[in-house]
Amino acid sequence: MRTPIAFYLMLSGILFMLGTVGVLTRKNALLIFMSVELQLNAVNLALVARGCTTT
Amino acid sequence: MLLVRNAVHAALFLIVNFFCLAVFYLLLDAPFLFAVQIVVYAGAIMVLFLFVIMLLGVDSGVPVRERLLIQRPLAFVLAAAFVVELFLAIRAGVGFATRAPDVFAANDGGNTQAVAKVLFTQYFFPFEVTSVLLLVAAIAAMVLAHRKAPTVTQAEIDAAAGKLEAGEMPVYGAGGAP
Repeated sequence: MRTPIAFYLMLSGILFMLGTVGVLTRKNALLIFMSVELQLNAVNLALVARGCTTT
Repeated sequence: MLLVRNAVHAALFLIVNFFCLAVFYLLLDAPFLFAVQIVVYAGAIMVLFLFVIMLLGVDSGVPVRERLLIQRPLAFVLAAAFVVELFLAIRAGVGFATRAPDVFAANDGGNTQAVAKVLFTQYFFPFEVTSVLLLVAAIAAMVLAHRKAPTVTQAEIDAAAGKLEAGEMPVYGAGGAP
């Protein structure tokens, strides 16, 4: 029973969205940096999930 | 992390998030990335963030709330539209494919060894370019953070020596702040 890759990609999209909301709504520069870290992690997750499949 | 007003609490939630992502890496058969995620992100980077937060004390009220009043719902709406679009793209592009079995062949002999083997042979040039980029960033940080030392003239040195000889006690740290 393997989890479909699409779920990981969807989770990555949700995390990226949360990071984007954080970047757009936070006012402090440090918290904006933390949201950018969240976005970077989302992209990392997408890359790893995509790297696990070969089409 | 987005809804918490306190910056330290937001950082702690971000640490929880990093640990969850580390577990996902473990589920995706990437134990090296799991360890790196915990050590580097949840360890080093978040300690750095917490250090800066506690050093600067960033949670200082909400002074510019009115300016961002329109931006906040707009951000939520745009992000929701973006994630719906992303879901549709993922469903159209990937579907419900599972992992290919040759991942396990690529991980043969250990994931860390496999990563090292690929990184130092096939992707050696991007690796070196990344290291040069990090070096440039470190040098830039040093140049930007470097403050020019106050130049001391010989007359000031003589004046200070004269004061010492006159018997006045030098007060250290008194004239530091301008």
